[in-house]
Amino acid sequence: MSYAFYPGCVSRGGCPELYPSAVTVAARLGLELEELTDVGCNGAGVLSREVSDPINARTFAKAEQRGLSTVMTICSTCTGVMGQANIKLREDPAYRERINREFLADEGLEYRGTVTVKHLLWILHEEHGLERLKAAVRRPLRGLKVAPFYGCYIRRPDAIIEGKPQRKQYLERVIEAVGAEVVDFGGKGKCCGFPILTANETNSMAMVAAHTGEAKGKGADCMVTPCPLCHLNLDGGQPKAEAQKGAPIGLPILHLPQLIGLGLGFNPDELQLKRHIVPTRTVAEKVQLLT
Amino acid sequence: MQATLKVYRHDPDAGGKPTFQPYPLELPEDATVLDGLVKIREELDGTLAFRASCNRGFCGECTLRINRGGRLACMTRVASARTKEGEVTVEPIRNVRVLKDLVYDVDQLLWQKIKAVEPWLQPTVSQPEREHVLSDEQLRPVRNAMKCYYCGLCDEGCSVIPFDNTFLGPAALTKAYRFVSDPRDGARAHRLRAVGEPKGMWDCVHCFEADEHCPRGIDPTHRIMDLRDAAVGMGIKSGTRNPQVARHYDSFAASVKTSGWLDEGRLALETWGVRRIFDLLPVAWRALRRGKLPTPYRHPKRPGAERISRIFEKVERRSP
Repeated sequence: MSYAFYPGCVSRGGCPELYPSAVTVAARLGLELEELTDVGCNGAGVLSREVSDPINARTFAKAEQRGLSTVMTICSTCTGVMGQANIKLREDPAYRERINREFLADEGLEYRGTVTVKHLLWILHEEHGLERLKAAVRRPLRGLKVAPFYGCYIRRPDAIIEGKPQRKQYLERVIEAVGAEVVDFGGKGKCCGFPILTANETNSMAMVAAHTGEAKGKGADCMVTPCPLCHLNLDGGQPKAEAQKGAPIGLPILHLPQLIGLGLGFNPDELQLKRHIVPTRTVAEKVQLLT
Repeated sequence: MQATLKVYRHDPDAGGKPTFQPYPLELPEDATVLDGLVKIREELDGTLAFRASCNRGFCGECTLRINRGGRLACMTRVASARTKEGEVTVEPIRNVRVLKDLVYDVDQLLWQKIKAVEPWLQPTVSQPEREHVLSDEQLRPVRNAMKCYYCGLCDEGCSVIPFDNTFLGPAALTKAYRFVSDPRDGARAHRLRAVGEPKGMWDCVHCFEADEHCPRGIDPTHRIMDLRDAAVGMGIKSGTRNPQVARHYDSFAASVKTSGWLDEGRLALETWGVRRIFDLLPVAWRALRRGKLPTPYRHPKRPGAERISRIFEKVERRSP
């Protein structure tokens, strides 16, 4: 099955290590990706929905045009913003019709409401199958303690999980599937603070310090997130959060495809772990001791 | 039915540390947690302080944390709440100042913040000549927001308030939305400017926790997003004391409009401007060393960028 791949802006911008890791891992797992290159940023919860809904309807129409039914993302925020727009467009035919008429018709496009938006994390569970992932693991990450961090948009609001509460456990199941150990902690479903980095940096950094500090305190070697915006704050913001807190944290933050890639046997350099702000050396050393 | 209510007890004025006092009770099968608290106060311990009123899920007075989840005590059955051991833990909600036992400072949690959003109609004219007739469609958003009974569960679940109690929070912002969405109100721009100041709607992380916590289906996070969209539609993209928020919006929109996707380097520069450039240098230096510093203004257009641009233009033509 082919997926309409929507990589999002940050996977090639602020987190350039994410895009190649995701593509490498998807290829190894046999996920066929057809990248949507001619579509726009989904708005990321920043742009008014008056403008982002038509942009997203256009993205879905482009996927339909290629005969693809699932848009695959590698970002919790993309998943949530596009997923919520899609729910509105699918459930309200009059709204969809208006968007089609006002914004898409002059390009000869129409969104018929047949597309589903799914994060790679969901696809691994719901379409690819976790057993197949386990079977592909060549280097079980035994002894690596990993704290999951989801990103709000992949858990809430309720409509986004489409009646599947198990989606709130998927990250833990992937950590186990690659042979690592789950470090459960209270902050795993909380906000990373990224959305208010501009409006209130102090609160944003306090959130980073709280969540990374809690995971570290529970013994995590690293944290894994399916959201590059969370990564920007938790990794890129960590030095500032440490300064604000007045205490070191030093918790490496991995992207989901990087953790999977390590389990699949790729080496840390292939997954560009060196491009992180918080050094990932401890993770790389621990993993390479396993080979 | 046998059940033990483990109830938070603390009198800050008397000092000492909070404790959970167990009260073994014999209760009817259909008893609520509030029934249990009333029984404790009337038969076992008259010093237990809690707040309750309507006893039918309408007033929001008995909002408590029951088995670690925010609930109304009068709408929570002991039979369904109790653990295998027959226990139910009852404590004040989070993010509040406890006055005594289960009674907390609602003034600080809700009323001061709701008062700050001027929760009264400010009509366009003081003496209308005739009644203001509204359609069902016009009133729908107002009615939805008016379902709020101020239980405070949205603020209890809020991601920001634990870090900053001065954030207006979803309950007060939903109240602001109630008036912003009311066609009879004449203070729309004034209200949007006011809630656009620091600690208002732009300080919301839109984590949708409030939507999960609201027992009335109001979806406060969505209402905050509606407020933001309404403000942007009127060109009010920040308050006066947080102009970087407007610069962030404008730069984000300009970059997507011209190239189809986000120019992160440009966004940082245009949001913070020259004044904060020195603050940004350590971050930029760290990113540069890792080979991940986005170069501003050297951002290739995505194929089809002109189509994205046209979407923006159409929306802009429609906005006032």
